[in-house]
Order: sequence, then C-alpha cells, then structure tokens
Amino acid sequence: MEITEQKQDGIHIFRLSGNLDSNTSPDFEKKILEAIQNGSNRLVVDFEHVDYISSAGLRVLNLASKKLKRSQGKIVLCCVADYIKEVFEIAGFYLFLPIVGSLEDALQTV
Amino acid sequence: MSQGSLTLEVTNKPSELETLGERLEKFCQALDLPRKIVFQLRFAIEEVFVNIISYGFRDEKEHRIRITVNHEDGVLVMCIEDDGLPFNPLESEAPDTACPVEDRKIGGLGLHLTKHLMSELHYRRLGEKNVLTVKKNLKDD
Repeated sequence: MEITEQKQDGIHIFRLSGNLDSNTSPDFEKKILEAIQNGSNRLVVDFEHVDYISSAGLRVLNLASKKLKRSQGKIVLCCVADYIKEVFEIAGFYLFLPIVGSLEDALQTV
Repeated sequence: MSQGSLTLEVTNKPSELETLGERLEKFCQALDLPRKIVFQLRFAIEEVFVNIISYGFRDEKEHRIRITVNHEDGVLVMCIEDDGLPFNPLESEAPDTACPVEDRKIGGLGLHLTKHLMSELHYRRLGEKNVLTVKKNLKDD
C-alpha cells in the first residue's frame, strides 16, 4: 500500500494505492491519526487506486471519524469502487462517512 | 461453467495473508470471475484467517491452517480448517451498524460483513479442529 499526503486550501488529502488490509492498515492509521492530532480537521481520502479493503481498513476510518466528530471535523471519501462502497453500506458507515464520485466533489463537500 | 480447485496450506503468521490474497486472486482470474466476487471472497478469507491467528492459539507454536477452494456449477465453496481453540464464528455477536459514530464500537465488523457477503456459512468442530465452510453462490449477484 502506498499512501501519499497533500495539503490544499486547508484540506488534508490522502491518496491510497493498493490493498488496505490488516497488514497495511496500521500504517494508514498512524498517518491519519497523526494528521488529526496535528490539527487537520477536513480530510479527503481518495480511493481511486484502492483495489481491496478489509475490516481493518474500515476500523481505521471508523476511528478517525470518531476522533473528528469531537473536533467538529469531517472526512469525505471519493472514487470508491462499487464493490467497496457496498461494504461501507452494509457496515452502516454512510451515516457518518460521505462518499462522493470525484476528488473535486470531495474538496467541495468536506 | 468452468471448474477448479485450490488448496492452500499456511501457518498462523500475519505475513501469510499476502500469499493467501495473491493465490486466491490468481485462482479467481483463471476462472474469469468478476472483480466484485473476487473482492468478496478475499474479504471472507482474510476475516476468517485473521480471526483464527488472533484468537485461536494460546501457545507460541506454529500452527497450520488449511484452506481449500472449489468451484463447481456456479458455486464457490471455501473450507477453512484450523487446530485452534473451539470457535464458532456464526455465534459471534453482530455489531450495531445503525448507531451514530460517537457510540460506535471500534471493530467487530469483519465476521458480520462476511456473513452478509457470502451465501452460506457452516461451522463444525471435528475432533481438535474447527472446520468452517463458506459458500458463495455466484448467481446471487
């Protein structure tokens, strides 16, 4: 899994590439929690190049959303494959984790 | 529809996950299965495997986990065998997926989602072994 980070107009963008499984999720967890701790409050996670996610990946997004809720922050996901979107739906994440079609939409929504 | 079978023997090490994923992807590619199905099967295998290696063993010894995958007449059957502590995943508690984020428990989703994504799950304790059979009917989607 490759993770690249970028800051743009006060928005912290994470671009993920590869598999977000139980071996690679700890690295993502570390980076996203670090960003929140350093004051990032508006986060976008670009899933365009994510082929696979396990419950370990869901767990990280759940944890980050929980932390951001306390600071009135927000995470928006974009470019999520339909089969991955289905997993978010079954898990009930749509209640707190918006998914939009493009990175531009994400930057406007967050 | 084509037939095929795959047998994987791995040990209870987290690094085996990559091997499992790659071998399964290759097997599925040869069968020309849709990406969505491949994803769901990989998800199920990972959740079951991670659960076994995280909670199944109290000693520090190496344990073997045997996974077979069979494809016949539009049904994929995966069988996962381990010699860990008795554990029936079908009895695991379902998390509350409708509560707001601040009340969410972190984790506990893996097996719940696996049950949703797969068509059938059967558990048996055979001697010293857990035997979990997971079926995915390819015509369901």
